[in-house]
Amino acid sequence: MSDTVLTLEHVSKNFGAITAADDINIEVGQTEFFALLGPSGSGKTTMLRMIAGLETPDTGRIVIGGTDVTRLPPYKRGIGMVFQDFLLFPHKTVAENITFPLKMQRSSDTEKAEHLQWVVNLVHLEGLEDRYPHQLSGGQKQRVALARGLVSRPSLLLLDEPLANLDRELRKEMEVEIRRFQLELGIPFVYVTHNQEEALTMSDRMAIMRDGKMEQVGEKFSLYHNPTSQFVASFLGSPNVFSGRVSAVDGEIATLDWHGHAIQARAHGGLKPGDAATCYVKSEKIAIETDAGEMSGEIRDVIFKGQYADFLVLLDNGEEVTVSSSHRGQLVKGAKTHIIWKPENADGFPAGE
Amino acid sequence: MFRNLSITLQIVMLVALYIFLYMPILYIVYVSMQTTAIWPFPPDFTGEHYVNLWHATDYHTGFRNSLIIGIGTGMISSVIATMAVIGILKYRVKGSKLIAGLFLSPLFIAHILIGISSLMFNKTLLGLPGNLFSAIIANATYATAFAFLVLLAQLARYDWRLDEAAMVFGATPRRTFREITLPLVWPAIFGAFIVSFLLAFNNLEISFYNLGATPTLPTLAWGSLRHGISQELYALAALINAAVFSFLGLLYILIRSGVIRMDFKD
Repeated sequence: MSDTVLTLEHVSKNFGAITAADDINIEVGQTEFFALLGPSGSGKTTMLRMIAGLETPDTGRIVIGGTDVTRLPPYKRGIGMVFQDFLLFPHKTVAENITFPLKMQRSSDTEKAEHLQWVVNLVHLEGLEDRYPHQLSGGQKQRVALARGLVSRPSLLLLDEPLANLDRELRKEMEVEIRRFQLELGIPFVYVTHNQEEALTMSDRMAIMRDGKMEQVGEKFSLYHNPTSQFVASFLGSPNVFSGRVSAVDGEIATLDWHGHAIQARAHGGLKPGDAATCYVKSEKIAIETDAGEMSGEIRDVIFKGQYADFLVLLDNGEEVTVSSSHRGQLVKGAKTHIIWKPENADGFPAGE
Repeated sequence: MFRNLSITLQIVMLVALYIFLYMPILYIVYVSMQTTAIWPFPPDFTGEHYVNLWHATDYHTGFRNSLIIGIGTGMISSVIATMAVIGILKYRVKGSKLIAGLFLSPLFIAHILIGISSLMFNKTLLGLPGNLFSAIIANATYATAFAFLVLLAQLARYDWRLDEAAMVFGATPRRTFREITLPLVWPAIFGAFIVSFLLAFNNLEISFYNLGATPTLPTLAWGSLRHGISQELYALAALINAAVFSFLGLLYILIRSGVIRMDFKD
């Protein structure tokens, strides 16, 4: 990448016996929204803290804007950050909180005022400048935290689960706004979350972490549609899981014997005939039809969600599959039905990995 | 009916409890204004003891010395305890429990032993004569333990991630302390200062061993036992109590009005 702002090279970090980061390599470009997604304890927050300078990696290098910052303390890195739980300074007003980074840089009063004006308009905090954090709502605190992260126009903004403490409605709204700020400012955002919806909504590229390891890095569409790691295949979306034995491999496509049905999936991890395999199919990638399909069964339950519905289909072989699809009148509880999916929408991996 | 009875009983018990707690203190205020302390009933009010106190120079010297010891000890103890507690809580060093234990253990040593041993140590090993300075040092040994305890309890609720946030936004550790930590925790540090100040101000044993003939208020009070308690002492006690209670009242008003904030979070 020619316009790389942030580079992590072979970064590793251990806390006693726990590996928080294991040989991590990341590059984030100038205008990128990069999400670090993983379950809790996967090491994503440690990663962010190392970029911020709050932890020092055991080995490896961190480069921001061409400068090696690996051993630099946080206050010399010149980056912005939005913290989980906001971490606003309770004894300072909104304006003092927001301009704190400028005060530390010894900016002039006019500069402070200009930047404050700009960022207050950007995040819509007009009229709240003189309030104290305890007088703000959760959403307002979130905006102050964002404004404080952006006010010095940093070369990089780190966000650590910034929406985790907001209710669902507000989160949806902020997801759109945060993405808008990033596009407007044209600086990279590195966003840590355990919420895949947030990551998928906002990011350009994302990295999925587990146990301190980077499972897969790439564009969000590619991670979602073409997982190359079994963990990513099982983690993103809400996939159905099929376990069976490989009966044949034809090029990229493997055929599995699954409780008497032959099911097809893309073969990963060098699957060969005879191997035990686990296959993941996202529920919205399965077609449900009343008249024809590969596997037949009956609808055991319909969970209606408005825009779509989850159909729990009990197949004739006694196994249950969840299919997400638009709601249709004839797909009622007890109706006979058929399901089918394209081989390229399923991903098979060696079992027990 | 039983409900009313039990409420009455509770009120009676509460009042009895307060009498138990405050009667001795109020009684001394009363006696300080009476002509005689032997059996001061019926009341015969007089202000002569206060006038005598005003003219009794040994009490002035004692008060000044106690004040010096209190302030000196309070400053040493609260500064050391603040550094120790921040070290333990913020940096979560290995063995912090042992470190905390070693800071606290002077709490369990009898003051008279601290007095004797610090006198011996100061004199024999450091060559320090017994004076106000060595009394301050000796009082600070156990007052620091109390200050540490007060601060540990208070700062356990402080969110050190605020300091991290300040550092990410460009504040050096020193600047972080000045901008964030100190403005938020100073009431706790002040509380530790008050506790160690009062302990040293009121201390008899440690000060006595280190000062000898130099008077402090407690040594004067103790000494006056031998030649019968003079009533100026009651007047003094009443004044000190008045000072302490007005100070507490002032603190209460400041906290209620939000000038002093005891909560570290928004």
